[in-house]
Amino acid sequence: MAKKESRGQLKLFNRDAFPLLSFCTLFILCLIIMGADYRYQILKKIKSELSLITSPITYIVNLPANIINYSKDSLLTNTLLKEKIKNLQEANYSLSIKIQENTLIKSENKILRNTLKIKKKFKIKEVTAEIILPNVKNGFEIITINKGFKDNIKTGSAVINNAGLVGQIINTSKAYSEVRPITSEAYAVPAIMDNGKENVILYGNGNGELEIPFFPARSSIQINDTFVTSGVDDLYPKGINIGRVIEIEPTKSPKFNFIVIAPFSQPTTFSQITIVNKIK
Amino acid sequence: MILKKTIAEQKKERNLLIILFFIALFLSNLGVPVIADSAIMPNYFIALIITFILQKLGNLNLYKLVIIGLLVDILVGQLLGQYAFIFIGIYLANHIIKKVLSIKSEKQVFTLSFFLTLISFFILWVSSLSHSIFISPKIILFQIILTFITTLIFSIIIKRFILR
Repeated sequence: MAKKESRGQLKLFNRDAFPLLSFCTLFILCLIIMGADYRYQILKKIKSELSLITSPITYIVNLPANIINYSKDSLLTNTLLKEKIKNLQEANYSLSIKIQENTLIKSENKILRNTLKIKKKFKIKEVTAEIILPNVKNGFEIITINKGFKDNIKTGSAVINNAGLVGQIINTSKAYSEVRPITSEAYAVPAIMDNGKENVILYGNGNGELEIPFFPARSSIQINDTFVTSGVDDLYPKGINIGRVIEIEPTKSPKFNFIVIAPFSQPTTFSQITIVNKIK
Repeated sequence: MILKKTIAEQKKERNLLIILFFIALFLSNLGVPVIADSAIMPNYFIALIITFILQKLGNLNLYKLVIIGLLVDILVGQLLGQYAFIFIGIYLANHIIKKVLSIKSEKQVFTLSFFLTLISFFILWVSSLSHSIFISPKIILFQIILTFITTLIFSIIIKRFILR
């Protein structure tokens, strides 16, 4: 007597059956995880917790570059000279930051703000840090710095150097933090022209520049006009230099122009940066 | 005829997957030296998974792909679950295409790997819309081309070390 077989086993071309139920379950699971992460920022918390594991990877990746830099320094200078140069550079850097702060205060005085109020508004907590490699992580422009939450670095803080705005802290671990530069594609910052007109949002284009895709054509703008942070987002202190206009192009619509802005600060050309925490 | 793999072969494939995973992790932390724009770099993890799925190596199933995907998200990702989603998408696309078409020759496998690269970048683009404000089409195009080239390089490495 012929043995009864289930329908699935009798099919002639029944090869590599697809696990549909598993696929559907995992598909929904992935969507839930992505949704939950987008809403509750789970990945950032996991990355912070696992920083002890990922730190050695960052260290190993940076090791060849660090060794080369160290060997070059050892050959070129002696310890005393190096120490003096470092001290002078640090002093120079601090002075440049102070000059920038003074310029901000002057510009504020021009538009008749109360001096005491302005001082309170611009009062900032600073932490100075050093940029280490890598500057790219899986295709995303990211700057890794040598200070973490043990140095009171907080996610979302603005990062500046003596030339202007550098970016924003996106991840912090114990000893390292990640900064998204202003020219990154995933970056946007509210800005204002230095003459106080036109509040806009500047977007990074991933090519070392910033853009305003739709700038009203009725507004007057010229090459070399500068933009500073407007401070409306309550993240960045008002008045930090961002960049100057280098290109004005008409769009398909006659009502708008496309503006390209070159940032004052090129983060990778500086070794030191300052993290700014606003005091509320 | 279905050829069953020996335990030693399976172990060799698993070890190669682990080694290539760490190489991909290392490379994804470095820029491409010749290319000035740091954003233009291949997606090494997508290239690795496409190669392993196409060559039917490492005994990869949906659960393993999700776990690898979550690991990639934690190490280099921007959104938790994104790479897991992409990897199961690649698995599904590969299964459907192989069910409908008979993929035998090298040229067909290359075409399929390019098609899978396109699909994976499409999923990556769609799932990135939540956190990336603007992604330049030019950069995506370069990334697709570089990822496809990386897939070919991974295929050659695997053929040298496993299928010889």
